[in-house]
Amino acid sequence: SKWAQTRPKFPSTTIALQNFDATYSIQLGNLWPSVRVAMLSEQKYGALINNFSSTASVITSELQAEGCIDFIGSHQHSKDSMPLHKDSAEVDVSKLATQEPTISPDIKCLVFPQGDISRFKPSRQDSSGLLGYYLLDAASVLPVLALDLQLGHAVLDLCAAPGGKTLALLQTHTVSFLLANDSSGSRTARLCKTLQSYMPRENLEENKIQISSFDGCKLGQIEEKRFDRVLVDVPCTTDRHSVMVEDNNMFNRSRTKERQRLPLLQIQLLMAGIHAARPGGDIVYSTCSLSQLQNECVVQQAICQAQEMGISVQVQDLGWLTRCFSNTFYFAPQLSVGELVLPHLCANFGPIYMCKLRRSN
Amino acid sequence: MDASRGHMSFCSTRQDHHQSSHTSQVPERPGAQLNIRSLLEMGFSETQADEMHEGALKSRGKHIPSILTVLLLLGLNPASILKIMQKCPEMYSLKGAEIQQRIDNLRKLGLVEGSLQRVISHYPKVMVLPIKRVNMVSRLLKEKCHVTVQQVTDILRDSPEVLEEDLARLEYKFQYAYFRMGVRQAEMVKAKMFRLTLSMLRCRHCFLERRGLYQTPDKKGQTLILNPLLKDFICVSEETYLTQVAMATAEEFHVFCKLIEREQEEEFSNEEQELDD
Ligand SMILES: C[S@@+](CC[C@H](N)C(=O)[O-])C[C@H]1O[C@@H](n2cnc3c(N)ncnc32)[C@H](O)[C@@H]1O
Repeated sequence: SKWAQTRPKFPSTTIALQNFDATYSIQLGNLWPSVRVAMLSEQKYGALINNFSSTASVITSELQAEGCIDFIGSHQHSKDSMPLHKDSAEVDVSKLATQEPTISPDIKCLVFPQGDISRFKPSRQDSSGLLGYYLLDAASVLPVLALDLQLGHAVLDLCAAPGGKTLALLQTHTVSFLLANDSSGSRTARLCKTLQSYMPRENLEENKIQISSFDGCKLGQIEEKRFDRVLVDVPCTTDRHSVMVEDNNMFNRSRTKERQRLPLLQIQLLMAGIHAARPGGDIVYSTCSLSQLQNECVVQQAICQAQEMGISVQVQDLGWLTRCFSNTFYFAPQLSVGELVLPHLCANFGPIYMCKLRRSN
Repeated sequence: MDASRGHMSFCSTRQDHHQSSHTSQVPERPGAQLNIRSLLEMGFSETQADEMHEGALKSRGKHIPSILTVLLLLGLNPASILKIMQKCPEMYSLKGAEIQQRIDNLRKLGLVEGSLQRVISHYPKVMVLPIKRVNMVSRLLKEKCHVTVQQVTDILRDSPEVLEEDLARLEYKFQYAYFRMGVRQAEMVKAKMFRLTLSMLRCRHCFLERRGLYQTPDKKGQTLILNPLLKDFICVSEETYLTQVAMATAEEFHVFCKLIEREQEEEFSNEEQELDD
């Protein structure tokens, strides 16, 4: 009959889901069903406008005419619209006093409004062959915003391929030097291709942007104390992908060991990021998993390990970020460290976890 | 059975009635007067008679008295007859005899006094459907969905809407519930499932499934979680469904329905494409 599909008996997606049911139902409690149904349904994208393209403003207006909103630029005006998360409406006054970073006005990321399931068309090339926008999970722009890039910064993107976040941070036009690294050769090649499709050749030919293909864990020693900002966007269980796509699935039986070693690798990569940051520099750690083990635990472990080596790092509050964007994203309530965007049917972005650290010595 | 035989004898009276009023309708004004008077005689109040008459004129019905006689003989009162005709103006253009045959056919399908009247009142369209159509649906239910004769009757009583449904879709809806949800016929009937459109059934089921609250039973009929009963999430209001079973907000559910609709359309067009290739 119609229903008897020829699926393997235990597809990796099923194993992933069983695994998540067991762990996340405890971790997220009664929020889990809502996150689960969102992850199993079509995700929403954001169009990161490429301001290196001559068509950037035309495309922005076109998309706005279709009903899109630049969630980054519009957050100031959206005070009266509904926050997705009820708790986020209660503003913590004590935190407001601390100075909030200004968000770069150059990064534009357009999304369809809450509950709107429209899709973006594939991006088109302008007359010089540059693409007008890059489609990504809109929540993955948040770790870049959390970096709070300032003019003249030297930036390390430790696990950069295929380059969505690299592209986002380049949109700010603040970076004086960027090292974009990814240990996988084939993925580094993709990163190059991404940059070529979005950046004018002259920008790439200057020595401002370097691309490398090292094991990120070793980069800490090579590039010790060199960067103002470090983005550590680690490999993880890519939860949404794992429950939806059989191909290249982390929960495939053959990858069990690799999957179990993820938290260790993540700690090593974050440690490398901390080493590569100059004193006073900031590190943002991010994943696209809901897993406490890969998120908060990794951060806490890394802080301990750094301490043992005499490096002091402090967790930086990202409350300002969640307050700004609670109309666009559904943030998990109160984590021990960092912030987490939970998938939700009305705003089906994420999961994206991020935590910001400052190295003080 | 007796009742229906008794009915047959009344038929001749109805025929006579029909003949006389039909001829009296020919002259313009006085005919209309007469018609209203005969309505009054049948027990319609003056306003009811006016409304009925107006409806008849609008739809140019020629056999109203015979229709009304059949319905009155069925035991329906003038108020509900008027409501029926207003809900389904197509009734005006039928003949009394046609209606009688269709009623007899529904009796044959097991609808007893009480249920019969209720079905006609709530779903007058049942009178407009040709006997052939009704029988085709009942045969499909029996042969393709392996539903018992009694269950067919129950379905017609509780969900007469099935009679209008596209046959392929109806069969697909059954298959969906049977194979995809793992539900037996008896439970489907009890839950009045056939009332729901396939897409609504799919929405409610998939939403629960993706929230982790419903599992398709394995070959032995077992699941790891306790599934809610079909009747508890199918024949309840959306609000009850959301607050008691799905534990979700209406916003989530509505977005979900839009998404699943699109998923379905795309799956369908992919299948078509594969067939074309
Ligand atoms: C989550 S993805 C990065 C996505 C990317 N930042 C973006 O926004 O497009 C993680 C990346 O880490 C890379 N990776 C895995 N192990 C690594 C290692 N030891 N050192 C550096 N990169 C590694 C993978 O090849 C993968 O491309």
